[in-house]
Amino acid sequence: MGKEIIPAAEKSLNLIRGRLCDPSYVFRPLSASSDSNYSKLKFIVSTSITEGCNNSILLLGPRGSGKAAVLDLVVGDLLEEFPDSVSLIRLNGLLHSDDNCAFKEIARQLCMEHHLLFSKMASLDENSQFIVAMLRECGLAHKTIIFVLDEFDMFAQGKQRLLYSLLDAMQSVTSQAVVIGLSSRLDADQLLEKRVRSRFSHRKILFLPPSREEFDGLLEHLLSLPADSSFPNGYVSRFNEKIKNITSDTRFKDILRTLFNANSTVNSLLKFIFRAVSLMNLESGLLSLENFKAALSSMQRQPKLEAVRDCSILELYLLVCMRRLEVKEQSSYKIISVMKEYKTIHDSFQTSDYYAQNVCLRAFEHLRERQVICYTENRGQSQTGEYRPMKLLISASELHQGMRSHACCPAILLKLLDH
Amino acid sequence: MPREESSKATRRSTRSSSSVTVENAEPNESHQPTVDDLTFGDESITVDAVLSNFPGRRSQILDLIRLVGPLDCPTLPLMIYGSASTGKTSVVLQVLRHLSRPFVYSSCRTCYSPRILFESILNQLFLHRKCSSNGYSSAKRCDKPSDFVNLLREALGNVIESLESGSETSRPDKSDGKPMGKMVYLIFDNVDLIRDWDKGSMILQFLFSLYDVLKMPQLGIILISGLPPDVYYSNMGYTDPLPLYFPEYSEEDLRQIFLRNQVNRKLYSAFLDVVLKPFCRVTRRVEELSTTFSSLFRKYCEPLDDLGISPNEDMKRRLYSHLKPLIAPCLNEIFRVSSHPHDGVTRGERRQKASYGSENREELETLDFHMSTSAKYLLIAAFLASRNPATLDASMFDSTGGMDNRKRKRKASEKSMEKKEMAEQEAVMKGPGSFPLERLLAIFQCIASVGDSSFGEEEEEEDEDPTGYDKENNNLMSDILLQVSSLCDAHFLIKSGSCPLEGSIRYRSMVSEDLALKAARSLSFPLAKYLYRR
Repeated sequence: MGKEIIPAAEKSLNLIRGRLCDPSYVFRPLSASSDSNYSKLKFIVSTSITEGCNNSILLLGPRGSGKAAVLDLVVGDLLEEFPDSVSLIRLNGLLHSDDNCAFKEIARQLCMEHHLLFSKMASLDENSQFIVAMLRECGLAHKTIIFVLDEFDMFAQGKQRLLYSLLDAMQSVTSQAVVIGLSSRLDADQLLEKRVRSRFSHRKILFLPPSREEFDGLLEHLLSLPADSSFPNGYVSRFNEKIKNITSDTRFKDILRTLFNANSTVNSLLKFIFRAVSLMNLESGLLSLENFKAALSSMQRQPKLEAVRDCSILELYLLVCMRRLEVKEQSSYKIISVMKEYKTIHDSFQTSDYYAQNVCLRAFEHLRERQVICYTENRGQSQTGEYRPMKLLISASELHQGMRSHACCPAILLKLLDH
Repeated sequence: MPREESSKATRRSTRSSSSVTVENAEPNESHQPTVDDLTFGDESITVDAVLSNFPGRRSQILDLIRLVGPLDCPTLPLMIYGSASTGKTSVVLQVLRHLSRPFVYSSCRTCYSPRILFESILNQLFLHRKCSSNGYSSAKRCDKPSDFVNLLREALGNVIESLESGSETSRPDKSDGKPMGKMVYLIFDNVDLIRDWDKGSMILQFLFSLYDVLKMPQLGIILISGLPPDVYYSNMGYTDPLPLYFPEYSEEDLRQIFLRNQVNRKLYSAFLDVVLKPFCRVTRRVEELSTTFSSLFRKYCEPLDDLGISPNEDMKRRLYSHLKPLIAPCLNEIFRVSSHPHDGVTRGERRQKASYGSENREELETLDFHMSTSAKYLLIAAFLASRNPATLDASMFDSTGGMDNRKRKRKASEKSMEKKEMAEQEAVMKGPGSFPLERLLAIFQCIASVGDSSFGEEEEEEDEDPTGYDKENNNLMSDILLQVSSLCDAHFLIKSGSCPLEGSIRYRSMVSEDLALKAARSLSFPLAKYLYRR
């Protein structure tokens, strides 16, 4: 840590990490082709703007597949193309699923756009009347309002009042509005009520995880440094050369394939690259294959194994007793039965680890905190802690593996676990 | 502390007359918090200092420094998880102190509802301090996530602006504790407690997606959780943060931790050689081991006259043999919180009177909290009611309240004895049974009158007049229902649901046999005779 850190290394690290945290940069190459979702979406929205009609679309896809990013790219382009005739309202289902909140937020954003005064004391009805009035005015002025509803499925819970009033206003009032819903539930349109669904045009754009080639191309796009003057001359070419070497290495291809098989969303690739880049050797300023290997191993966590490895020996004894009870076909057992089993083991094998009841009770609490065991029923506390049935949350093989990799597990426990 | 004194002075003066203006105001009222207060406050420390402060956490500290990244480097949300007392919070704070980055810390343990959590963060970001001049109110009222997002954006914008203008002036000395860089870090501690909140899953979902919603690259989010990330998986799915794991300490790490801040390291290290291995078999948590070790170390050092010497082999053997008999009982008491005060003097005296083992037995045999006589009888009655089946009450307690000794069983055969044992064990396994209130009161009346008659005999000998004895009897009966409700509050009795036919409330006793025996012993009540054994 006392060696020289070249400033170019820090700058390149900042640059790459900044790219990783910015979704619109990440998804730009995926939007380049002509039949991509980007162009479809752009076509739909721009035709509704130019022709002055209403429209509604749903963007569906698993998390991290770029729905919001592509939407941002489209909206950014449209705001440049039609500077005066587009205004944007953003809502998020996590924050605004309550109707009160939602109407207030729409009114607030409309007021901010058009430089009107917003009163926080306005009631729900006043807000909704205001929104309808604004829609009519904007329609008459040939201005399109784009409503972006993130987490669309959260708006479809409850009475769906917001959706109904928006879609109804679009149909009845002279308005030009586009409603774009984003959701990670692929059946989000099935959640709509009948009257809402009838007013909704069933356009859906599906966002699928990228293919293997797109994956590789994305990697290239994210990691190559631009050749501009802010970096020292030879550094950029050395960096890009190193990246090319790494990506063409078969071991790296294996790493990437393991990652792709486990989780093929763009999100996991971003996290993988983030970790690898954070491990960059700041003295040389270049990435290496070891960084990527370390990043992969940190992504392949096994939380139950870690929990078992953290247990003390007494806790391992209790786990083994519970497992033996399970083998004897008791699916849930109480602490007393486990203690009885513990006593029989101590009597038959004369182990040195025999502790009093209150020590074991506390050990049970530790195990419960680590989520290795839990109570089977959660209804109230109709019994004391000792009589409530509990069960194991880890499988026998995980327990085996954890105990074998434990630092100081006594051999007798492994023997007991086997029979 | 001067702050306390001056506030006391103002309180006294305002109490004396309400029209007096507060003259000596609290000194910290004039100190308005600035952006500089967002850092740790003290001078920043080097990496080596951080590494030496936390033995056994070397790889986690270096990982964390790399993940946070160099100055002004955008970062994805991080989640740091591990079991209790593994040093998560302190490592995060010390690393941010080393890097001199401005941060806002809030713990979901002290901020136990969404409104308090949001307002605490906003107060820190708006550089608002609650004091008497603004009536101890927050900067902005905020209890919904939607308001929080808008206000947070505003507050972060302000803070980042002032950070940027501050960083333009060049500072020669980079380690003076002033904030560096243009990024602000939000630290949420004890995130696992949010699961138990009202609408906790929504709040958790909101926290995990906060970074995506805000879309501000100058914000870094660090979540600290006591539970592993897979407990947060829910139906809705979310983009999970980058995990960083803090495992439990190994034995060598524990040794280094306990050796820090010790006056005589050689002596303590000899002590650790003796105790660390057996105690680590039970638990490896620092907070549980440190309390036991402190009392054991006192015992270990008793034969020594001079605590500053470093022991040689012979002395080590002597000290070990002195400590050895105490280790085994201490292992069984490792989690017991003693209600006797930890006074070195009284401990020493008591040690001379009796050995450690028998002193423990004394503690075990008496109740270490006070209960009134009627409450003790009620407790015993509840225990009996839960243990014994209801059909045998009539034969157990006859009209005078004494034990019915008429039953004489004939000697049973071995097989039937075994079956009876099994049945008894199964009955014990099922747990305490429930009983209606009337049964509890009936049993209570029986056994209390038994106790009273013996109690009353003593009283008569001290020539107490009979009316006084009757009053005692009445006093025992009068506030029984109050006692029942206070036992319920203390969780010795619980309401276990009503019988659908009768509609009356049934109770269940949660008292362990140890506690019932202790209570019975303090009343000289023969509990064993009343316990039903098949």
